[in-house]
Amino acid sequence: MTLTAVDTEKPRAGSARPPRQGIGDTARAYLLNAPAMIVIGLLVAYPIGYSFWLSLHRYNLKLPALERFVWFQNYIALVGDPIFLSSLRVTVAFVVVVLGLTVVLGTALALVLNETFLGRGVLRSLVLLPWAMPGVVNGLMWRTIFDAKTGALNGLLLQLGLIDSYQAWLTSPSGAFFITAFAQVWNTLPFTVIILLAGLSTIPSEQYDAAKVDRAGVVQRFTQVTLPWLLHPLLIVLILETMNAFRAFDTIYVLTGGGPGDATNVIAVLNVRTVLTYTDFGLGSAYSWVITIVTLVISIGYISTLYQRGRIEV
Amino acid sequence: MTPETSLSRRRVLQLGALTASLPALSSVLAACGGGGGSGSGAVKFSGWDYESALVQQNVDRFKQLNPDVPVEYTPITSAQYVQKTVAEFTAGDGPDALYVYDDSLAGWVAAEYLQPLDGLPGVDDVYAGIYPSNAEAMTVDGKRYGLPYYTDSQCLIYNEAILAKAGISAPPKSLDELEQQSQRIKDAGILEFPIGLTAQLQDTWWGWAWGLVFASGGDVFDAAGNPVMDGPDPTVRDVFAWLQRAATVTKVIDPAVLQLLPVPLDDAMKNERYAFTIGARYALRDYNDPARSKTAGNLKIAYIPSLDGNVVGTVSNTRMYALSKDTEVKDQAFRLLTYLGGFDGDGVPYTAKYWFQKKGLGFPFRKLEQDPEVQAGLATFADPTIYSGLASLARPRTAIKQPWYSEYENEQQKVVQQLLSNQTSPDDAVKALSTTVTSLKQKYS
Repeated sequence: MTLTAVDTEKPRAGSARPPRQGIGDTARAYLLNAPAMIVIGLLVAYPIGYSFWLSLHRYNLKLPALERFVWFQNYIALVGDPIFLSSLRVTVAFVVVVLGLTVVLGTALALVLNETFLGRGVLRSLVLLPWAMPGVVNGLMWRTIFDAKTGALNGLLLQLGLIDSYQAWLTSPSGAFFITAFAQVWNTLPFTVIILLAGLSTIPSEQYDAAKVDRAGVVQRFTQVTLPWLLHPLLIVLILETMNAFRAFDTIYVLTGGGPGDATNVIAVLNVRTVLTYTDFGLGSAYSWVITIVTLVISIGYISTLYQRGRIEV
Repeated sequence: MTPETSLSRRRVLQLGALTASLPALSSVLAACGGGGGSGSGAVKFSGWDYESALVQQNVDRFKQLNPDVPVEYTPITSAQYVQKTVAEFTAGDGPDALYVYDDSLAGWVAAEYLQPLDGLPGVDDVYAGIYPSNAEAMTVDGKRYGLPYYTDSQCLIYNEAILAKAGISAPPKSLDELEQQSQRIKDAGILEFPIGLTAQLQDTWWGWAWGLVFASGGDVFDAAGNPVMDGPDPTVRDVFAWLQRAATVTKVIDPAVLQLLPVPLDDAMKNERYAFTIGARYALRDYNDPARSKTAGNLKIAYIPSLDGNVVGTVSNTRMYALSKDTEVKDQAFRLLTYLGGFDGDGVPYTAKYWFQKKGLGFPFRKLEQDPEVQAGLATFADPTIYSGLASLARPRTAIKQPWYSEYENEQQKVVQQLLSNQTSPDDAVKALSTTVTSLKQKYS
């Protein structure tokens, strides 16, 4: 893969351009793009900028008289806020588990679906289904499956003789944590599979043929051929799935509400509660920006390690 | 098919879809505050969506009686009521008359969304006719802001048939007795977990947790809103210790309660899955409805068991009707408020009685206790003496007028969940709650 920037705008040496009349190219470009820029500005930049502006304020609808600009106090307060720190710990653990499972399972599924076999099309369609499910519905579905009284899982395990009585799976901190992580993975895994499948389809079959001639085994073919070609798709997966896991809210909220105790109280749940239930828009916006900044830093980390490596090796 | 006909057909479909979506679009814009005021001089009346068809029916009756007062009633999903109403007020497009939760009242007064009702005709009479706890819940800084919609008190609800099967003739008076009776039911193989509660984290309050503390004569805060749960009075700590023991040692509280929300709990009670729960009195009307409950007639009301067996209290809540500060139709809106939360021309609190008769909702008016129709209705689902006794003992939560209450409630729910799932000790739990209050006070100072 060669990544070269195509420079089409620079005037060639010696070329004689006729002097332009009226407005110049740059001005015309700005003029023509202005409507789009205004729309983007209104729909994207303004809300983002306003949320940052709010995060610099003490702005709680319950205390309108105390509203004021406080610089970075909301951010500084987070450092000593035990609720936020606990939530951050839970979030980091959640992201690590979700990301690990997503990448491993997604790669495995993509490799399977990349093979030619009878019913591959049907299987590919089925794998995509969870992605079509909204987070709330996903949460409700897994809640029904794991229900302590009427859950399908309890019924199945009881029928198989693996448990003596129905279990309350979501009531232990570790059980609730791993079940919510699993539900999140199930919901977002198809996206990973699609990206990785697309990556796999770009690998020239000659490379595998050459590897086979060189007597490379399955593991060697994966590490020497497949993986280098998947680095860029994996980069996209890592960035987007990290963002998804950091923002995970609906599935967790429906499944556990953030409990038991603080076990699944990820930062997005805390964020939504702070803004919508406690009507604290200043602090809530600061939470949002913390999520954004952390995700940004991690993404830069991914890019700096994987992107360069991908360019050199492929 | 030619391109022209294809385009034309698509165009028709597009226009059709656009036309079809206009009502939805306009309602979305209205919900976003884009609709502005009613502009017709009508009273804009908002409430959460509990039995909205019945509310509309009652509002229609008001309009028939008061043809000069047009009313536009908007039910809002309960789960979003507070947020959406706040958003409307913030956008300057709030309702004229509205429902208010007692735990939202102080914040909404501080935010200057509401206006006091003192001095308006009939308000003094209403406040003289209701229980003091309801009057207190609707008063902020000495000013009265609401006319009562409904009130309820927490009680113990038990299944008499299940108790009888286990050879138990009377409901428990103390928490130890509750645990022993539950153990007996468990040992008899009738139910694995006799006690059910709603203990999934919610943005609403857990009445049973407050009720257990108040029943034992304790409190979580003093009158000034300072935390006392970790003070010299050990009531909160002891109640927490009992909860933890019942959930993790004797295991009479179902571990699944951490996943349980109100509707599934109601279903479980109606299907004899639990022998005991603590809930609002009006739930009994539903529990004892033969059309809806497998065990109708067997579910009885009792005082909430206390640590020492002496009943001294329970917790109440109050829902009210209030008047927007910026309403431009104050007189008309207040007439609606009086119809909904006051007395009619015959001196009867019509709407409160209407709700009791239709849905069994608790009433704040003492006068209705003596009403023969109410007495007859009450006797079909609860013991009137205990029902009234609970109303007399009940008091509102001590912290609901603090601006940080909703945050505290959520932390209390988390701590109780930690107790029920053995993640903390009662001592650590009360310390954690006290620390939470200190930090909330700092945050809100």
